Amino acid sequence: MRIGVDVGGTHTDAVILDDDKIIAATKALTSGDVVSGITNALDTLLKDGAVSRDKIDTIMIGTTQFTNAIVERRELSPTAAVRIGLPSGRGMPPMVDWPDDIRSAMGEHVYLLHGGYLYDGFPMYDIQGDEIDTLIKDLMKKKIKNVAIASAFSPMNAEPEKFVRQKIKAAIPDARITLSYNFGRLGLMERENAAIMNTTLLPFADKVVSSFLGALDKRGLKCPAYISQNDGTLMSADFVRAYPALTFASGPTNSLRGAYKLTGLQDAIVVDIGGTTSDIGVLQGGFPRESNVVIEIGGVRTNFRMPDIMALGLGGGSLVSDAGKTVGPLSVGHKLVTESLVFGGKTLTTTDILVASGGAEIGDPSKVSDVPKETVKAATIAMHNMLDQNIEMMKPGGKDIPVILVGGGAVLVTEGLKAASKLHRPENAGVANAIGAAIAQIGGEAERMVSFRETPRKEAIALVTKAATDRAVKAGADISTVKAVDVEETALPYMDEGATRLRVKVIGDLAARDIS
Amino acid sequence: MKTIGLEHLDDLALGSVFLATGGGGDPHVPKLIAREAIKTYGPVRVVQPEDLADDAFVGTIGSVGAPTVSLELLPSLDDAAKTLDAFEKYVGREIDAVASFEIGGGNSLIPLVAAAGKGIPVIDGDGMGRALPEAQMMSYAIAGVKPTPAVAYDYAGNTATFEVSTTDIYERHIRSYSMAAGGMVTAAEHPMTGAELKRSVIPGTLSFSVRLGQVLRENRGQADMLLAPLQETFTDSIYGECRLIFTGKVIDKATRIIGGYDIGEAMIETFDGRGENLVVNIKNEYLLAKLGDKIVASVPDLITIVDFETGTPINAERLRYGQRISVFATGCPEFYRSEAALKVVAPRCFGFDIDYVPLEKL
Repeated sequence: MRIGVDVGGTHTDAVILDDDKIIAATKALTSGDVVSGITNALDTLLKDGAVSRDKIDTIMIGTTQFTNAIVERRELSPTAAVRIGLPSGRGMPPMVDWPDDIRSAMGEHVYLLHGGYLYDGFPMYDIQGDEIDTLIKDLMKKKIKNVAIASAFSPMNAEPEKFVRQKIKAAIPDARITLSYNFGRLGLMERENAAIMNTTLLPFADKVVSSFLGALDKRGLKCPAYISQNDGTLMSADFVRAYPALTFASGPTNSLRGAYKLTGLQDAIVVDIGGTTSDIGVLQGGFPRESNVVIEIGGVRTNFRMPDIMALGLGGGSLVSDAGKTVGPLSVGHKLVTESLVFGGKTLTTTDILVASGGAEIGDPSKVSDVPKETVKAATIAMHNMLDQNIEMMKPGGKDIPVILVGGGAVLVTEGLKAASKLHRPENAGVANAIGAAIAQIGGEAERMVSFRETPRKEAIALVTKAATDRAVKAGADISTVKAVDVEETALPYMDEGATRLRVKVIGDLAARDIS
Repeated sequence: MKTIGLEHLDDLALGSVFLATGGGGDPHVPKLIAREAIKTYGPVRVVQPEDLADDAFVGTIGSVGAPTVSLELLPSLDDAAKTLDAFEKYVGREIDAVASFEIGGGNSLIPLVAAAGKGIPVIDGDGMGRALPEAQMMSYAIAGVKPTPAVAYDYAGNTATFEVSTTDIYERHIRSYSMAAGGMVTAAEHPMTGAELKRSVIPGTLSFSVRLGQVLRENRGQADMLLAPLQETFTDSIYGECRLIFTGKVIDKATRIIGGYDIGEAMIETFDGRGENLVVNIKNEYLLAKLGDKIVASVPDLITIVDFETGTPINAERLRYGQRISVFATGCPEFYRSEAALKVVAPRCFGFDIDYVPLEKL
């Protein structure tokens, strides 16, 4: 059996899954120290399910703590950013476009070295030994242990990054170093940004992972623990000590994956209706459709992928005005329980409309008996139209496609949706995120710029697939189950015919439980 | 507009992507380098073409190569000014002002980096009024200005000089050099007098791009709300007509590299799946838009695709299946509707067997 935990801003959700069956589910408040929120959730879960602890094979945790640390500029350690790319990029140092507050929170230790490669593998410049010596002396003088290293075209040739790491390690054995090539994708500045953010979080990652493991230990759970990544796959807890940044934005992914698990629908629209917004995402082959816009985290451009989500201003707390013709985008939010009519407040919200229409019994229904029938009817139509129109926008290629409703606001949908071929309201939809965490697999990704003229296409794909597979296995995947789920080829304009950016993503099952 | 400072760069970059009609590369890195240049050297003076002396000496500057390469091979702060230094040394004369090849995309910002570093003014105008893939399509070339003597400068300060008989040959040579030099070089070319510039430049495009970016920023949001402010902005400009020709989602996009160009098409369907699909043909830029059999816009008029939810223009390289978008068509400057211009930029020059019909007559 598996336990899935989702640590959100307000709630910590947890579930026990036995293969496909949900044995127990719970929702607890997230605590300030995070850990007691988790132990509380685990206590309820293990009591409710009457499951013995030694039946639990694995535990999966989704967390927003690392994203929040970046956004709130806390728990950031002094970090050196080393770029190997001179003579290109003079006057364009690392972090040049970062917001001032986060740059100064990290100490602004920036170094530029000669080296790196061109797109075709030709060396840009020889690595300079004396530059590395100077760098190391300065790091030692400033007592900086956290170092991010990025070099030009490192996804194709990571030797310069590895070489400088080895030199630093030799001089500063306890240095903690992130190499940018581990964050795939071409785009030096974005890849470098990911490496820097990752590095500055390393000491915090130790703290978080140790406290997670401590909480499990305290509750007698001896099984391996995994943490979910932004692409819906897992990494081992120890891997997170080295790659905390890979947890960024795992929440929306887990929610979509959970909706998939709850319904078994590989291709569907998922509408997560909360208090303020409805987040509409798309499942393709059981995985979220990814967005192609540049993702900023805490004001820093990154190369992370996130699900393509459209946030619509419609939730359980949305304001209703204009005799019901206008709904949202303003919302009373978490003040729903004091400001809406059914709870004795003065604001007409979508929840009041729902109660007035007889769709649900929430609060005191007598408080909405005065709301005109026409207003109730108009608002109900408006809400359904908003959802229909926005689902149409997200639907792939106008095909008929089912819609999965999750989230506390799903009750607002009383009529059925024209845009949906079928409407699903799975049980336990409130803990979809935790379920998404519990079912995650292990993934790996690699990207190279290749020339099909020099390396035949098939061979090139095999090569990149191998690199991705190696990564997945390193992260804990069972090699016999690993398969490629996505091969993306982007031909490059103005270059040789056949010059292509090739990206492969693989996914596999968790390797069997390690008894030791 | 008398000077360009830090406060104009975001708007300039945003406006330039709209005018780039899908090509021109992501201006993010050029914007950063322009920001560093202006921080270091101060704001850049802007000179109107008509205010330039007839005997002034002008050079044009921009990046040549594969935009994808510059994601890794970053430009340096002094590349652009050093390119002009090498150019001046080669032609044996100091230049009085610098102009852009193309206002569309990253090349709208490179002249600012050069001008800031050299302490000379930048011309309010460019050689395309949009983005186009080849040198012979520049207004300078069409008006008979020779591209050479020219100088190309790479990331390490290596230079190459060019003396060629035609612009077509120049295009071939500099592309090959750019690939040998890591995929991206800075080039200074089309040396000309003030008088020659006045008859060959597309005027006012630098300040227009800043204004357009400002309009896009201030009206950020659903793309159909953008039409009225855009029409107001374009009507009194050299572009004129602006239409919202389609809104929907991308249901197919297939491109492949032929002869160094990203060639293919995107198919867009209305949100409710009713009516005809719009097909947009791509050759680095969005060149032709067809609704069923009916052509609704074609090069040299501008076709721009924006994100439906924010109104942000989307580069052809970033256009993907599933995106919700709106398509705008805008008239091109009169210069590009002349017989001489249409000889090199009409739809047939891009392999489409149709006559060019101006947007307002479609």
